[in-house]
Amino acid sequence: MQEQDYCSFMERIERGEKIEATEWMPDEYRKLLVKLIHMHAVSEIMGAYPEKEWVPKAPSLRRKLAIMAKVQDEMGHGQLLLRVAEDLCAPWGKTREELISDIYRQRVKFHNVFHMEARTWADAGVIGWLVDGAAIINQAALLETSYAPYARVLKRICAEESFHMQHGENIILALAMGTEAQREMLQEAVNYWWESLLFFFGPKEVTPAAERMLHYRIRIKTNEELRQKFLDKYVPRIWSLGLTVPDPQLRYDETEKCWRYSEPDWEKFGRIVRDCMGPKSQERMALRRRAHEGQLWVREAMIRSRALMHAV
Amino acid sequence: MTEKMEYGVFEVFVQRTHLDHHVHVGNLLAPSADVAAQMARENFLRREKVVSLWVVPRDQITAVSEHGEWLGRELDRSYREVSGYTENGRLWRMFKEKALTLEEIVAYVERRSEGGRRNGHQRRPSGS
Amino acid sequence: MDIKDAHQAREHPTYHQALVRWITQLADDELTLGHRDSEWLGLCPDIEGDVAFSSIAQDEVGHAAFYFELLHELGEPDPDRLAFARKSHERRNAKLVEQENGDWAYSILRHTLYDIFDGIRLEAMRQSSYLPLRHGVAKIQREEAYHLLHMKTWVVRMGKAGGEARQYLEEAAVRLWPQLDDLFSFGDADEETLLRFGIIAFGSAECQKRWEEQVKVVFGQAGLLWPGEIPLSGRDGRLGQHDPALAQLLKTMTEVYRLDPVARW
Repeated sequence: MQEQDYCSFMERIERGEKIEATEWMPDEYRKLLVKLIHMHAVSEIMGAYPEKEWVPKAPSLRRKLAIMAKVQDEMGHGQLLLRVAEDLCAPWGKTREELISDIYRQRVKFHNVFHMEARTWADAGVIGWLVDGAAIINQAALLETSYAPYARVLKRICAEESFHMQHGENIILALAMGTEAQREMLQEAVNYWWESLLFFFGPKEVTPAAERMLHYRIRIKTNEELRQKFLDKYVPRIWSLGLTVPDPQLRYDETEKCWRYSEPDWEKFGRIVRDCMGPKSQERMALRRRAHEGQLWVREAMIRSRALMHAV
Repeated sequence: MTEKMEYGVFEVFVQRTHLDHHVHVGNLLAPSADVAAQMARENFLRREKVVSLWVVPRDQITAVSEHGEWLGRELDRSYREVSGYTENGRLWRMFKEKALTLEEIVAYVERRSEGGRRNGHQRRPSGS
Repeated sequence: MDIKDAHQAREHPTYHQALVRWITQLADDELTLGHRDSEWLGLCPDIEGDVAFSSIAQDEVGHAAFYFELLHELGEPDPDRLAFARKSHERRNAKLVEQENGDWAYSILRHTLYDIFDGIRLEAMRQSSYLPLRHGVAKIQREEAYHLLHMKTWVVRMGKAGGEARQYLEEAAVRLWPQLDDLFSFGDADEETLLRFGIIAFGSAECQKRWEEQVKVVFGQAGLLWPGEIPLSGRDGRLGQHDPALAQLLKTMTEVYRLDPVARW
């Protein structure tokens, strides 16, 4: 019986059909989806913190409004993705409370970039431009995912990202056209974030889990394919601004038709993402714990009042 | 046994114009239906204009499938719209580049052929 | 008599001065509270509420931007300079909105108290003789009505829930009461002039009376103890007499701006 279900499921996947939350799916498919979407959701929520630090410091009224809107969207994306993950976890009795507390119990990973410190306004700009650029490439590649609820929220997320792209570009264009000090600040930010951007797409080799995700068409593209697409779209633009990339090996290989770059330090990547040893990992996880655990009393009061409001 | 303290799931439906049906836009967790309505306004209607909004407790929905006055956004919000950043195109031209669009990225990422750079790309890293 | 634009307002120096001072209070209140609200980003009790609260923060800053634009039309410096370049003693916000956020109970109760006041103040300007203000107020009123609904929802629910939630709200009320007095001050915007020229329809005593009536209803619904008379602090934010919290807020807010106030950021 199981085997028959599995075969007809895989036939649907191979035909390019989409799977809905209420439909039968193999346990492995469900687990892989949860792993991916939980991490995606948590990355959005933790991704709000580096930029959040610059929300109160935005240097004009328009920038203040725009960066608030942008960080708000990140939280909103976290909300959309959490809901997809929560529905998938429901058969296991796992809920929002646990999906969030997993963050500070180090039971779920989030993107390396959100473990890093945003030190200057230019850092906030580079996050908006290049980190978001990398995220957009990643998300655009997931639009074709076989899991329908994920595909639907990704469509909405990508539509909102189109504002984020313009917002990020607008900040860095202003700095690039600004004073010498502003340009230096921008170059310094590119230097600081470069390695993180290479890390962002994950290791080159296709891990067994990634292999299974490709099998189920949860993902369609490999890490390296996406990194190449990022370099292709963004390196020429970085150069056009008169900025440099801190990698003497970086070049486009005409014969192989791909970008050559120095391997980043993958052990460092592991320490940041797996062990949460990045410069801001612990501090930001503590913020999340404070928001979640420290305000359980608010959520519980709102639930208690539900019964009282009906009683009136 | 005490009841587990959990928010409920609410499905969110919006009607974009009076000529449209309500359409499902997603769902959220909330402690009660009226709070869900307020939350839905922010979680799903930050940009769109709609004429009506529903939230429905999920357990009130019977699904049949193939296989088995405060909605106003009054002041300027161009800061959160792509249309608020039209100057980017002009600014990029000063650097002899063009502005990226999301559509371009999506089309490029979804393109079947892998690895190669886009045809006709003028800029070569060796030349800079 | 209606004043149709800034040009006409500038022909009447008494009118112009009272109007500029009045709008400065509106702008500073909204900017300061919007800034405080934005500090909640990523820290609210639930994710959905986090997104919702940020919209309110944006609305407040958006209203401030509108008021600063009116001031600029009336001959004041450009909106960013007004928002970022003035020192603490030049600001005309009430002390209430500059205080640090405290816990969720403090933040939402403060917001409710402010939103009720702001709703009454907007009502006073609904038929304002200064037409650009009157037109903006009509729009802002619709946004503020939602803020008040949202904040009251939190307060009433948490109050009704009892336990530590009600206790924290009552502790917040005790902290808030001594921070309220200058909310009802019109400071250096001469009330008599504002009324005489129809910039507003009723004065500060009426504002305070209506505020107490409305706040009492909310306290009643939430089951909160009424803290009584508002004590006088002897310091008036509307005259630029602020708490250290504002200087700290401004230090953060203007950190990047101050690196180069003439640069384009």
